[in-house]
Amino acid sequence: MTRPHIEPYVELNEDYKAFGLPGFTGSDFKTLSLDPETGACSLKVRFNAGYSRKPGMSYSDMELFVLGGTMQLGDQVIGEGHYLFVPAGMALPAITSEDGCETLVFFNDAEPHWQESDEHHELTLKAGYVSLNTYKDAPWSGGSIVSPSVATGCMIKLLRYDPLTEAMTFLYCMTPEFMQDNISYHDCGEESYHIWGTSWMMQFGDLPTGGYFWRPPYINHGSFRSKLGCIALGRTDSKLHNYFHFNPWTNPSENLHRAASMLYRQRPQLFKWVAAHGGHNHPHGPVGQTAAVAPTDVAPTDVAPNDFEHVDYGDDPQVQMLANQVMRFLEADRSGHHHHHDD
Amino acid sequence: MGDRVQHKKPSMSAEAREWLEQETDAQERRYAGIVAEQEALTPDREQWYAQFLEIVSTRGFNVTGDQRRVIPEDELPTRPDRDDAMNVVW
Repeated sequence: MTRPHIEPYVELNEDYKAFGLPGFTGSDFKTLSLDPETGACSLKVRFNAGYSRKPGMSYSDMELFVLGGTMQLGDQVIGEGHYLFVPAGMALPAITSEDGCETLVFFNDAEPHWQESDEHHELTLKAGYVSLNTYKDAPWSGGSIVSPSVATGCMIKLLRYDPLTEAMTFLYCMTPEFMQDNISYHDCGEESYHIWGTSWMMQFGDLPTGGYFWRPPYINHGSFRSKLGCIALGRTDSKLHNYFHFNPWTNPSENLHRAASMLYRQRPQLFKWVAAHGGHNHPHGPVGQTAAVAPTDVAPTDVAPNDFEHVDYGDDPQVQMLANQVMRFLEADRSGHHHHHDD
Repeated sequence: MGDRVQHKKPSMSAEAREWLEQETDAQERRYAGIVAEQEALTPDREQWYAQFLEIVSTRGFNVTGDQRRVIPEDELPTRPDRDDAMNVVW
């Protein structure tokens, strides 16, 4: 089970609900999306004036972004635009909010969870902690840090990057009159909350201030427009690769097959390793894999995934050459003898 | 597999379980509402798709960044005869 496709959802049209779970008494919440099995969720949380809680930790990674107002964490006051990534088990100091604040809160592994503690859990990965004023202390970068790239006028500030999954949390903005004439999809789940401004996508129409989406992988979105510009907080759950195309009617299954066909063409050795013998020969992943990839008895063109855009790509000689290549490693002579070409 | 803090989490409390069930029900209703709203947009979306195909075949399609390619008419896709052809929420 994972989260359903929630797009678009404009939370400003909904009422807050009182939050009664431990650690949240004195706050109100709106659920943006959640995983029904694990409880992992994205919430908008309003910490009301006078909110306070003791030092404590969660057994889930937690992210927080301040939309407005201020909050005091121990000796530190954080305000509008501040971002925190708090690894599971890391104890935060006492939190108070004298005048209240509105935030986005993300629990990545489990339901909203907090328990009183003034010590970190012994297993916490403290090095992952991020505390950053994203508005004041981080520059905008061109969106072209990923390729294929968004069009000029869409910029990002990378706030957190997970080196294992390449999951990202980032701010992005679109300049006034931004436009990008393609349809995109990704291998990753993607999430966004519009802090201010309106963008438009050809499938869903306008996403205004307070607009939100949680989009599972391989779902078409775009083309894109923003008349007056916008700024948003975005997250992905793994690597974001932009697959662009111009067929508005494809479904997620077709998009997935096309993505697999690109892996087949562009990373043929990796594709073959994964696909060898039905993909079941390496159930535990590449742990300790040091030998060359063995030839398979399946003709590469027999396992080439469908690509709705390039239906005949299997006929392309370069693709065939790549598909038929078998990686072999030469054995180095480590005996100390030196061989010469004319030996 | 090495231990992580997440593996040590106590089981979900009854209070949290109840919260999760309520929010899951609310999310299912929200999803149904979104699907209905998006289906109601279908006439507009048909026009948006037509305008998009017009744009990519005249001004061009963003291949990557600002690099554009004008799509020849014989490469333009046509709507498939399939029930989910106009779905956008999955």
